[in-house]
Amino acid sequence: MSCSSRLRGPALGLWLSVLVCRRMALPLDDLLARRLVILSGKGGVGKSVVGAALALAAAERGKRALLVEIDSPLEAARYLGAAPVGSRETEIRPGLFAVNLDPAGIMDEYVRHVVKIEFLARRILESPIYHRFFTAAPGLRELMLLGKILILEEARDGWSRCPRYDVVIVDAPATGHGLSFLKVPLAAHAAAPVGPIGANARRILALLRDSRRTALVIVAVPEEMAVVEAAWFHQLAVEELGIKPRLLVLNAAHERRFTDAQEAEVLRLAAAGAEGRLARGVALSGAVDAARRHLRRRKLTRFYRTRLKRSLPLPLVSLPYLFDDPIGPESLRLLADRLEGR
Amino acid sequence: MTQTTPEAALAAALRKRRIVVVCGAGGVGKTTTAAALALQAALGGRRVLVCTIDPSRRLSTSLGLTHLSEKPRSLDLSRLGPAEGGSLSAMVLDTKRTFDTLVERHAGTEEARDRILKNRFYKQVSAALAGSHEYMAMEKLLELSADERFDLIVLDTPPTRNALDFLEAPDRLMSFLDATILRYFLRPYFIAGRLTLKVATRTGAAALRLADRYLGLQFLQDLSEFFLAFEGMYDGFKERAGRVHALLREAGSGFVLVASPARLMLDEAMYFYERLREKRMPFIGFIVNRLHPDPAAAGRQRRGPAHDEADVEAGLAARLVDVYRDQQKVARAERRALARMEVDTSEPVVLVPEFEADIHDLRGLHQFGKAIL
Repeated sequence: MSCSSRLRGPALGLWLSVLVCRRMALPLDDLLARRLVILSGKGGVGKSVVGAALALAAAERGKRALLVEIDSPLEAARYLGAAPVGSRETEIRPGLFAVNLDPAGIMDEYVRHVVKIEFLARRILESPIYHRFFTAAPGLRELMLLGKILILEEARDGWSRCPRYDVVIVDAPATGHGLSFLKVPLAAHAAAPVGPIGANARRILALLRDSRRTALVIVAVPEEMAVVEAAWFHQLAVEELGIKPRLLVLNAAHERRFTDAQEAEVLRLAAAGAEGRLARGVALSGAVDAARRHLRRRKLTRFYRTRLKRSLPLPLVSLPYLFDDPIGPESLRLLADRLEGR
Repeated sequence: MTQTTPEAALAAALRKRRIVVVCGAGGVGKTTTAAALALQAALGGRRVLVCTIDPSRRLSTSLGLTHLSEKPRSLDLSRLGPAEGGSLSAMVLDTKRTFDTLVERHAGTEEARDRILKNRFYKQVSAALAGSHEYMAMEKLLELSADERFDLIVLDTPPTRNALDFLEAPDRLMSFLDATILRYFLRPYFIAGRLTLKVATRTGAAALRLADRYLGLQFLQDLSEFFLAFEGMYDGFKERAGRVHALLREAGSGFVLVASPARLMLDEAMYFYERLREKRMPFIGFIVNRLHPDPAAAGRQRRGPAHDEADVEAGLAARLVDVYRDQQKVARAERRALARMEVDTSEPVVLVPEFEADIHDLRGLHQFGKAIL
């Protein structure tokens, strides 16, 4: 099949890994075996960074990955040093595509798609009813966006009929109302059980619930509220949506920087009030304070990691806290490495 | 006039104002900040209610409670020694319930009320209706502002990607409910109960034909019923929305904008601030949470400059320097971003250092509140 030619990358990687060492199965393997990956989590947990890192890792495995953001004021493309892509799917790196969907544009696109005659479509788009109702109708936007995601997931290239993307990674909007974005098809199906809206909603729901095609990822950070919310999301997803999340990402985790012996030495230096200079502009006292701060943060990370592991029956991947602002490609590379278990 | 500190400006607002709206993007510690401000005001002797719309139990988590409901629940402050008369209550808004109550109040007849409450469209969307969370928060605010039991209401706004939604979503909802034109077009579906192409001759009918083809007749009927039922209520809704806007503009009200010190978050806060000014909303100040300490500053303050080479094993020294430089990088980026922001505004900016322990009880909240003020 012609489609397989694209998979040279991963196939080669697989062969190598089989030949060189029998590595452990990574949560990433499981994730990238799906075609649609949806990230959800409370605002501020870094979903867009995690999404960009996942897309980068996927592209480096030779997959064609599409990173989908929704109405994002600051696109994740910038983490990879690329210019904003807007609402056109754009290849920002070999195999890595990005798009920032514009909800209003999607609605218009849908109308144009349905009404094939341009002047008729224009009349609709310009009519007051369209503006008053279609743009404000509850859930219609979300439904259209999910419909667009479905289209992207199913997109095939004309001549070869190969899937255009091997994996579509969606940074779901953090509306704060739990998983309301994903709940829309459920509501739409109930509100309009017959007719095309209902049928569309059912198709989307089927895709979301198909665990061979779709993976829901919960992103959290080592903080009380985010951890409470992650558990709540998990419960909502299972009970209300009928979707079992596949992976938990603990983002902004403070990683180990000192050995046990070094930690003990830091504490000893702190107690002794040791002074002196470590390097240009770095006083030992300041560095010891910084180290103790790090140890406290690290303790919190471990505490919440344990709590998440205990309360949620999901594989967990930790991604490190990033120290640069703005976040750049180097940091993204670090995250992609961690996803690969490196 | 004496120059007041940002902290003093904030404290004065908590002593005097009747409504404090806490806004900000998600993930900046908004709920915790709202709870901490409410607690500080209560300890200062005011009768305070803190109200959140957030369904994800954030407020109860930060207050150390397992459960909060629509009924204001009074918290025991005795251990913190509040000033005479001070009290703190907390509640969570239930959007669906508030919406139902509103329908009950404004529907002229029992029949009209039941028609809405039982409408399939209403049942599915009343909670999910774009802007209904925000609208209901404002609606509740109006009701609570008349409540004699409280001197101060601290309102934690729904976490949205765009903090502006809180002010704009209610207008969008009103505009949706006021789809007069739509009602006009939908009426035939409702009355005749079947498709009629008469509408096709009117302006915009193509949109409806499209709706019919792609939404289905049943849905259109539910929809038209919904709008017809709302017909008599719209004026009541609109009148109350107008009163909320007036209430928010009063001198007794004020907005607090919460942000984190990352550059992008500060830019967003500034953008929201400009919009508040455009809408002539009274502004109290910014609270910037989680400011990371600069290790260089801390070291200098305490022990003065160090000259002699420190006696530390090389491997450890290298690690120490790495950790130090990483933290310094964060701290400096934050200070640069703050300096940039302070050029753009003369409003009070209260900086709150990072809290290393998490806050999830009254005591922690009290510590946090003291750090803010």
